[in-house]
Amino acid sequence: MEKETFWSSNGHSGDVQPPPAMRSGSSKQSARCFHNLIWKQPLTHDADLESALSSLVSSPAPSHPMLSSDRAVIGELIGRMETICNSDEMSTGSQCHSAKNSCYSSPLNSPPRLNLSAVDHRHGRGGLPVLLNPDTGALCMPFSDDQWFADRTASLSRCGGMFSPDFEGKFRLPETPVQLPGASSSKSLTGCRTGGAQLEMETRSQFGRLLTLQGAEVGDGQEESSTSDRVTAEATSLNLRGISDSNSKKRKLPAKDKGKESATNLPNMAENSDAKRCKLGKTNDAVENSGAAEEATTKTEQNGDTGQTSSKDNDSKPPEPPKDYIHVRARRGQATDAHSLAERVRREKISKRMKFLQDLVPGCNKVTGKAVMLDEIINYVQSLQQQVEFLSMKLATLNPQFENMENLLPKEKYQVSGAMPGPLYPSEMAIAAYPCADLEAQFLNPQTQTMQLAAMDGLADATPQLAEFWEGLQTAAQINFGHDHLCGKYME
Amino acid sequence: MYRRSFKDTKSSLGSPNPNFSKPMVALRFLRALSLVRCSGPGARSPSYRARGIRRAAYACMAASAGPRRAWSRALLRKIRRRPGRGLRRPRAVIRRRRPVGGGDPLEVALRRLVPGGGCMEYCRLLEEAADYVKCLAMQVRLMQTIVDSASHVNSID
Repeated sequence: MEKETFWSSNGHSGDVQPPPAMRSGSSKQSARCFHNLIWKQPLTHDADLESALSSLVSSPAPSHPMLSSDRAVIGELIGRMETICNSDEMSTGSQCHSAKNSCYSSPLNSPPRLNLSAVDHRHGRGGLPVLLNPDTGALCMPFSDDQWFADRTASLSRCGGMFSPDFEGKFRLPETPVQLPGASSSKSLTGCRTGGAQLEMETRSQFGRLLTLQGAEVGDGQEESSTSDRVTAEATSLNLRGISDSNSKKRKLPAKDKGKESATNLPNMAENSDAKRCKLGKTNDAVENSGAAEEATTKTEQNGDTGQTSSKDNDSKPPEPPKDYIHVRARRGQATDAHSLAERVRREKISKRMKFLQDLVPGCNKVTGKAVMLDEIINYVQSLQQQVEFLSMKLATLNPQFENMENLLPKEKYQVSGAMPGPLYPSEMAIAAYPCADLEAQFLNPQTQTMQLAAMDGLADATPQLAEFWEGLQTAAQINFGHDHLCGKYME
Repeated sequence: MYRRSFKDTKSSLGSPNPNFSKPMVALRFLRALSLVRCSGPGARSPSYRARGIRRAAYACMAASAGPRRAWSRALLRKIRRRPGRGLRRPRAVIRRRRPVGGGDPLEVALRRLVPGGGCMEYCRLLEEAADYVKCLAMQVRLMQTIVDSASHVNSID
């Protein structure tokens, strides 16, 4: 509702029209508010962020008293931010903020930190945005309390589905404490496009689909543009994005809903941004390049349009999440509509199965490519089936003497039900077992006299053993031994 | 005849055992072998016996794989249907859940190879193929062992 509209309007940096798909009643208010907050400011992402923050914080939160203390402090901050950002109409923003805050149990951390950060915000807009430090690779927040800012941004992102605690955690660098939260927040900002998508997925349970869809794409776009402007070190931004990409997973969303959402979102978004999103959403490099390009342009232009163009990355963000079963997260730079996500899931399943097959089929480790693998598998299955045929023929000709033994073995085997004692005297057993069957062979095997003779010889030699064996055969243990012999050989 | 024996073995051995119950497979197979030999050791030609042994091998392989696998069910169905069962059960299994487009010749070949592969989706087909390959390899090893033992016995005698 409020959040949806808030974030969607955020995303429309240049779009004054609230998304028609907005469902909340307060959408108009928030839309208006945000239009004023966001699009009138020719600022970079800082401005957007600030306005977002202000709108979030300044809300008096009538409906959500739980975070009142936080809101008070935030209100101060917002006040300062307002002056800086020339943003008005905090009331609607505050509503959104309150709505958002209510979603999360405690996105905000210690209130005392709020005071500190509020003080810090006095430094100006420049202080608010995160500056990437090329040397450290971390984002240096001019705030004394970066932690608070990180938390705020986290809460913001949560509200908008753009950030998430996980997202922050991922990007926290093991660097100076001051830089760390800033880095995390800045990373969250810079990587919002990809991370936002991910985060939205994670926080989807809190938001309706529409919210994440709209907010993610829209808000992320703005954040992306704004942060990209500030990012002085492309490498770090690239790293951040890489991290976000590496962390991306796939979440499977209800196809229809996603399709609907994306369909509704796309028309809502700026048309040019949509087109650009589709174009640029393919590869990380493309996004990064565009982001880098945008940095230069946005610095100079500072338009909502640039934010929109940078929002192309939005389509890497998949729309909401919720419900059911397999949750996949669309990777950065990939289409987010339901069909492509489902296809991606399917493709991953297939590749998993192919890998499993690769392990089964010997000699397939070097082979790459589905077609060659399939060919190898087919050949292997055919060869196995031919082997079965050949062996059955061999068995048919070779072992008519098996009759008695087989009859005995299964009967005893039932008692054991799988328990296999170690084969004792396997050679003896083998010799003893088969000669008894050879008795049959004499009569049944017309093939060769030699075979029969051999059988008889074997039988004669093994007679004393055979007698013992036959007695032993009646016992389960000996039966097992004989069976074990057979089993052991092929089990090895 | 050995069909009946297969059923007996399956029922007697009871619970659906895991795929890799080699002793059970061996047991079933040996029992089936003996039954095959019983049926017509002297009267039948080796080729007839060979066919019977092959059917026995597939049947016990499918039986040991368990009813949870689509390929084992299809294989048993194919084996048991062969004697020309005229009466089709009214509650016939819905055979073609999804008729395959069959654009990929490799996929089509795989479907033909794996029992019951005509009705499955591609993902499922790969899964069943993996299981089938596993069981087939096990069966081949078992038969090879039996042949080796038999020939070993014969050779030493």
